[in-house]
Amino acid sequence: MAHPTNPLLRGLQYFRKGEESSGGWSEISARDREWEYAYRQRWQHDKIVRSTHGVNCTGSCSWKVYVKDGIITWESQQTDYPSNGPDAPEYEPRGCPRGAAFSWYTYSPIRIKYPYARGVLVDLYREAKAQTGDPLDAWASIVEDPEKAKRYKAARGKGGLVRAAWPEVAEIMAAAHVYTIKKYGPDRIIGFSPIPAMSMASYAGGSRFMSLIGGIVPSFYDWYADLPPSSPQIWGDQTDVPESADWWNASYLMMWGSNVPITRAPDAHFMTEARYKGQKTVVVSPDYSDHTKFADHWLPVQPGTDGALAMAMGHVILKEFFVERQVPYFQEYVRKYTDLPMLVTLREREDGEGRAYVSDRFLHAADLGAEGEASENAEWKTVFMDATSGEPVVPNGSMGHRYGEEGVGKWNLNLGGADPALTLLGSHDELVAVDLPRFDLGDTDEGGVAMRRGVPAKRIGGHLVTTVYDLMLAQYGVGREGMPGEWPTGYDDPEPYTPAWQEEATGVDAGRCTRIAREFARNAERSGGRSMIIMGAGTNHWYHSDQIYRSMLALVLLCGCQGVNGGGWAHYVGQEKVRPITGWSTLAFAFDWARPTRHMAGTALWYLASSQWRYDTFKADEFATPLGKGKLAGKHLADCLALSARLGWLPSYPSFNRNPLEITAEAEAEGISPQEYVVRELKEGRLRFAAEDPDAPENFPRVLTLWRCNLLGSSSKGHEFFLKHLLGVPDAAVRSEESPEELRPTEVTWRETPEGKLDLLTTIDFRKNGSSLYSDIVLPTATWYEKHDISSTDMHPFVHPFNPAITPPWEAKSDWDIFNYVAEAFSELGKKHLGVRKDLVAAPLLHDTPDEISQPSGRVLDWKKGECEPVPGKTMPKLAVIERDYGSVAEKMTAIGPAVENVGIGAKGNNWKPAQEIEYLKGHNGTARGGVADGRPSIKRAEQVCDAILALSGTTNGRMSVEGFKQLETRTGVKLADLSEERAEELITFADITSQPRKVIVSPEWSGTESRTRRYSPFTINVDRSVPWRTLTGRQQFYVDHEWMLEYGEGLPAYRPPMRMAKHLGDIREGNGKAEVVLKYLTPHSKWSIHSEFQDNLMMLTLFRGGPTMWMSDKDAEKIGVKDNDWIEAYNRNGVVSARAVVSHRIPEGTTIMYHSQDRHLNVPISEVSGTRGGTENSLTKIFVKPTHMIGGYAQFSYFFNYYGPTGAQRDELTVIRKRESEVVY
Amino acid sequence: MNLWHQFLWVIFPYLALVTFVLGHIYRYAYDQFGWTAGSSQLMERRLLMWGVLLFHWGILFVFIGHVMGLLVPIEVYRAMGVSDHSYHLLALWAGTLFGVIALAGILLLNIRRWFISRIRTNTDTMRFLTDGLLLVVIFSGLAATVGYRIYAAQYDLPAEFEYRENIAPWFRSLFYFAPQIELMLEVPLMFQLHVLLAFLLFALWPFSSLVHVFSVPLGYLRRSYIQYRSSNPKAAISREKDRRKSRKPVGVDQGRKE
Repeated sequence: MAHPTNPLLRGLQYFRKGEESSGGWSEISARDREWEYAYRQRWQHDKIVRSTHGVNCTGSCSWKVYVKDGIITWESQQTDYPSNGPDAPEYEPRGCPRGAAFSWYTYSPIRIKYPYARGVLVDLYREAKAQTGDPLDAWASIVEDPEKAKRYKAARGKGGLVRAAWPEVAEIMAAAHVYTIKKYGPDRIIGFSPIPAMSMASYAGGSRFMSLIGGIVPSFYDWYADLPPSSPQIWGDQTDVPESADWWNASYLMMWGSNVPITRAPDAHFMTEARYKGQKTVVVSPDYSDHTKFADHWLPVQPGTDGALAMAMGHVILKEFFVERQVPYFQEYVRKYTDLPMLVTLREREDGEGRAYVSDRFLHAADLGAEGEASENAEWKTVFMDATSGEPVVPNGSMGHRYGEEGVGKWNLNLGGADPALTLLGSHDELVAVDLPRFDLGDTDEGGVAMRRGVPAKRIGGHLVTTVYDLMLAQYGVGREGMPGEWPTGYDDPEPYTPAWQEEATGVDAGRCTRIAREFARNAERSGGRSMIIMGAGTNHWYHSDQIYRSMLALVLLCGCQGVNGGGWAHYVGQEKVRPITGWSTLAFAFDWARPTRHMAGTALWYLASSQWRYDTFKADEFATPLGKGKLAGKHLADCLALSARLGWLPSYPSFNRNPLEITAEAEAEGISPQEYVVRELKEGRLRFAAEDPDAPENFPRVLTLWRCNLLGSSSKGHEFFLKHLLGVPDAAVRSEESPEELRPTEVTWRETPEGKLDLLTTIDFRKNGSSLYSDIVLPTATWYEKHDISSTDMHPFVHPFNPAITPPWEAKSDWDIFNYVAEAFSELGKKHLGVRKDLVAAPLLHDTPDEISQPSGRVLDWKKGECEPVPGKTMPKLAVIERDYGSVAEKMTAIGPAVENVGIGAKGNNWKPAQEIEYLKGHNGTARGGVADGRPSIKRAEQVCDAILALSGTTNGRMSVEGFKQLETRTGVKLADLSEERAEELITFADITSQPRKVIVSPEWSGTESRTRRYSPFTINVDRSVPWRTLTGRQQFYVDHEWMLEYGEGLPAYRPPMRMAKHLGDIREGNGKAEVVLKYLTPHSKWSIHSEFQDNLMMLTLFRGGPTMWMSDKDAEKIGVKDNDWIEAYNRNGVVSARAVVSHRIPEGTTIMYHSQDRHLNVPISEVSGTRGGTENSLTKIFVKPTHMIGGYAQFSYFFNYYGPTGAQRDELTVIRKRESEVVY
Repeated sequence: MNLWHQFLWVIFPYLALVTFVLGHIYRYAYDQFGWTAGSSQLMERRLLMWGVLLFHWGILFVFIGHVMGLLVPIEVYRAMGVSDHSYHLLALWAGTLFGVIALAGILLLNIRRWFISRIRTNTDTMRFLTDGLLLVVIFSGLAATVGYRIYAAQYDLPAEFEYRENIAPWFRSLFYFAPQIELMLEVPLMFQLHVLLAFLLFALWPFSSLVHVFSVPLGYLRRSYIQYRSSNPKAAISREKDRRKSRKPVGVDQGRKE
């Protein structure tokens, strides 16, 4: 018995005699070394598996996951990232405490181990099925019976989930889907999941299923308000940003609204390292936060007033670096790469103050007489004046050159000897007064007032024109000799937009503002543009975020920083760069079988579906400048959405008030084409857009499936409205009344308040979160350590994998497998009840297609009012007919369809027909056997999906990249293919990235060049190779001329203050003699979680208070008698939050911060104000959509998924806070 | 003699002793890492030094005193010619001296545990219970020894309570499984309380840090300074023995030709 395992027996060793030697000084002990196992085994493991963390984290850290005895034990950082070379810091080390704590979830008490279903629903279903014998009939009998439907809908959020078997829940889901398609149409089904980049195959599982059945796939980037609408407005591109290693190249860095050490923890080291290289760091933030401590200067700005600060900095730069002194580098840059020299027409305007002009649309070739008119797409070619000849020139590169025969080889920024005149001063015909909007004045009106200034103007082609540059100087208040109008006399004159003026709004010292602006520009001048602004949620989550961003981005454009390594913008919030975008989008949206997919603008969808539009307190004209034409007068925000739907601007699903499967059938019965039929029915008013009557039972969504997300616990802005209207939860804490008669829509139908719209809500997750509390079906999915997948982000130049360390435990399955499983159940029922049907998809006018030159000059013509004819694809949505074989959905799910090589695949205007790659995939993945997909490459398993994504994308397949660049060479006439030729032979496979993260290949799918020696920075290809931006002018645009933009006074960057909620809502305090404060309510990202993930992780909880908290200043706390860690109640008209107060002097007075995603399932007590359980951080928010975000069909203002659309801004909100008085009860 | 007596002097002591024995076996088998004195020296040292030294030395002699009083039958003393008076004289003075030392120590340790907040925060219920119980048991023991004498003096009772004729034989009777309950019935309340509280302490013992009593490193007194451990000590020892038998001195190359 050398190694007795029983410690009692081993204890006898104490009494055993050893053997002495060395005269008794030493001894061979009789005791064994068993005790050492205690520390030796602690770190022993059987294997290490490479994986990462998915969905919301932009960290892109590769991790070693350790497995011991079949159990995931812990994780540690991988260190083998591709090198940045000897002259720059490496990506390694990376990985934060949140990631290091992830393995806790695997076996945690909140792990979902089995499928669950709402007990009431299961009982009803079983009973109904026993009676009817058919799943579909059973489902119909439940949802069509109001009493039965109410019974299970009212139980949502009240527990009562019971364990169920996979086949049964799949059958219920299939029945609900098939029933809804049959009765209402496939566009009443939603599948929501965000941020595909960090687990692409998992996202693709659900989105592919939804695409194949014709369901809605809503966007998330705009919904999260992370999408900067300014990016499409300026660049015609969405969120192309530098990798984090490029911060190292910046010599002047501003962190403005992005808390890098907290929200970009694994990358923050580049920022700290760059300081050793002499980089100057400036932080703009209202609170003293974690990044402030890195700052050389801290500008403590009032929340939401960042735009004012940026405008004043722009004023300083324009005055000192453009007017008083011309910097050659800046002059050259803005002439070639921005719209500053472009000519803009002026429209005459009369008011009490006399005659003046306002800026109107761009002058275009069609305005230049017969010769100009004759040119192809003449209305899409902008004009500048040649400084030498004084003649108007139509330069290459504008949108008119992007399409059509004439533009082949001419879509480039080469000036061909022309010298664009920045200003007309000197060659002007007259100096004219212009009226410009300002929004800081006029306390009662968000539309502000007018200010009168002047520009030099010239008459060309019957139009009085000036340049964008001249307008910019007028807007920024930078005066020149003899110019009419009123101008600030100096920096200390508090008129827009001087440093003294901004001090009143922002609280930032005027001198400091001037100094930073000067330094920023001077650094750019001396370094060739290496001044960078890292920006993010702090400046982007506002209603007027586009204006805030445009005024900030004006700084980097004026100083020639954009498209330069170490310079430009670095927008870091919720980015989702799927680097292998082409392959991924093909598979994720089933473009390999049919297209288009019903991509929906997320905010528009939820705004209508959760009936938040019924609570609006103002109309769309509230924000219109008095300088406009009154185009939005009297319109409700929902009216604007309805207009955007019927003009083909935004996608709008559900589309019509009829089942799209029936529409095609009816057209067929009449023997006319569905397009013809729809146009006729619309004109005659028999057919309506669902957006015009969103609360009609036949028009709202019925089935919602959530995966990889926590919609209700984390991202349901207007949370309580979701609960009340979408789900029918009886104790939703909505506290406001619906809009009064005069504030209701004029076009959109107002109905009785609908409650419980959804028939079936399914959540697929590995943890029991807020969404699953309210779901009817909850399915257990694999964690990130239990599946195959790929991750890439915009901040890191590599792709890397997820790998299963263990197979999904209990009854969990990966997302990909779950949707295949459901698809099989669906197909079985679909074959029986639906068969092969024709589906009519109303698709918006898309960016990067000829659709975007549909509605010239940004004129808004409504066919419904007879202003034009309804022409599908021109003045209204495109109408595509898709044949759907509902019996073969499962077969199509698991094989790549033939459209890949027959029709081609693409991204951003590039197109490939990769027959070669399909052959490779047939060999590599094997092929499907039998059925509709016979002989096609198999993607049955997630790792096959990953390999297909990698093979079909330019960033991971050198051949595709070179081919794409060659195509682009034809259109642009500039040399490009050499960029990726050195890697033409490379194909990155899943096996490659499993052995080591691989650096991606430069590709026309993105705008930046990158190589072993060059860090990725956006638009470097545009700047280096004179490739146009995908905008109207082909340049980076300071000016945008769409009618609605001008209506809102946002043709140029301008300062718009945060929404004046106090005015819109009045006094929201309840009073009752209790001490209360009204505070600005901010919800930035937390230190101890990534979105909703990790906030319920025990390890993270131990780091801070372990439950819901709200931060407030010591001064505000004193006013209501609150001490640190006291329980408080926060409420406004949207809902109630119950939390502990964190009282800290780092928070400015008048502001409270509730860090993002404090979900309901964790330590949330019953609220004293509402009597129901306290809410999530979104219980206090409600969304308002901004009409200018709905614009479409016009150059860069054309829809694309996650590219443009109304943002779910939530940061302008106010909340009341008071001390909790009663005992805390749960 | 009723059921109540039966419980107090038979059932309860046996329950306590069985718990004591089985509890230790259980603890030793399943909680090796928890087998510790649970020192709080990291949190406080000054008071601990005094408390620990006083208590441990005191309790060590108190324990010897209890062995003398309880386990050694009175007949042995008488046979050895130790008069009852002499015995009690020694028991009183030595017992009081060490009892007071132990009491001072445990009092200090309890005060420290209750009134130093960082120690209090890091103390579990069992530790509070056993430390408190030790204080009460020692106090009651001391009270029985000294207090009875004062009490007896007032009522003209025999100055010395001869526990060697009732408590001690009763205690021993527990171990040969013929408990003599009747012996305990007339014992003064103070002694009864002391005994019962002590048995309660025995019952809690295996689940507390008191288990460290059995880990007194007595081995240090006799072991060699340098210890070699083998993963298979049996084989190593016999190898060493074989080597010894072949009389090859240590360090000489075995393969070298002489």
